Amino acid sequence: MKKLICVLLFAAVAANGLSAQKFFTRDGRVSFYSDAPLEKIEAHNNSAISVMDTQSGQLEFAVLIKGFQFEKALMQEHFNENYMESSKFPKALFKGRITNLEEVDFGHDGTYNARVRGDMTIHGVTQPLETTATITVQNGLFTGDAKFQLEVADFSIKIPGVVRDKIAKTVLVTVQCAYQPFNR
Amino acid sequence: MKKILLSLLILGLIGAAAALYFFNKPLEAMAQQKADFKMSAEELFRAFDLDEQAANTKYLDKVIEVKGRVLAIQPDEGGKTGILLDAGGMFGVNCKLDDLAGHQRQNFTEGETVSFKCICTGKLMDVVLVRCVEAP
Repeated sequence: MKKLICVLLFAAVAANGLSAQKFFTRDGRVSFYSDAPLEKIEAHNNSAISVMDTQSGQLEFAVLIKGFQFEKALMQEHFNENYMESSKFPKALFKGRITNLEEVDFGHDGTYNARVRGDMTIHGVTQPLETTATITVQNGLFTGDAKFQLEVADFSIKIPGVVRDKIAKTVLVTVQCAYQPFNR
Repeated sequence: MKKILLSLLILGLIGAAAALYFFNKPLEAMAQQKADFKMSAEELFRAFDLDEQAANTKYLDKVIEVKGRVLAIQPDEGGKTGILLDAGGMFGVNCKLDDLAGHQRQNFTEGETVSFKCICTGKLMDVVLVRCVEAP
């Protein structure tokens, strides 16, 4: 009986330890911006999810394409129907990890530069992505911020010939996440 | 001849004005939109959980009036309030308040039952609804 209690206690401690390693958000903000002669294009999505394992450095993001909000209705319609085909490809995903985890101390308040490497899937096409992120640790919680450029053509997003020269070929993506402990 | 030119000019101006209007038209106000579906948060979540592809076909971009118990209230990185409705399990229905609408209140409390009219964008962990306004 004592042995069983010890095993159960050990399992409980181990489970707590494991859950404290994983952090998540369901309210991450992903924005993109492109500047071109025809129009500045800007949209925001405040419902990105992200899970980060602070021990292994594994990191995942997912965002719903239809959740990007534009200022103009027509622009939002064209983005979903003509470019992103969001009914066919409803999600964008990133799976990767922090490659310099030894330089990020999640146990101490501070601001750390993290190198992130992984695969980004948009519009059904997966491409490798490498970027830097800023991780700010405060009172046991942390935020992650990143900015990177994406080439529209890398993800087989077709721009109609009539506006091809008037729409930017790269977009600047901004990600901001405030993580909470993931307690099952 | 002058009359024809004048008519063409007027028609051209009307066309240009219409094109400009549609190009710059803002997103439609949620308060004026009629709900395509009325259902509980549990029903909506279950539909996505059972068959996500079928639920996407049925609900994406549709106006949904959803009713449920408030599980959590979360301000996000963009300053928008997200209200998580209980769907009977670990995940729920994440309702993002519309920042284009004037809300009568944003002081929701955990445990109360509310109804929101929103646009469905799909499912990640939770079913995500955006541009939510409280339904009467």
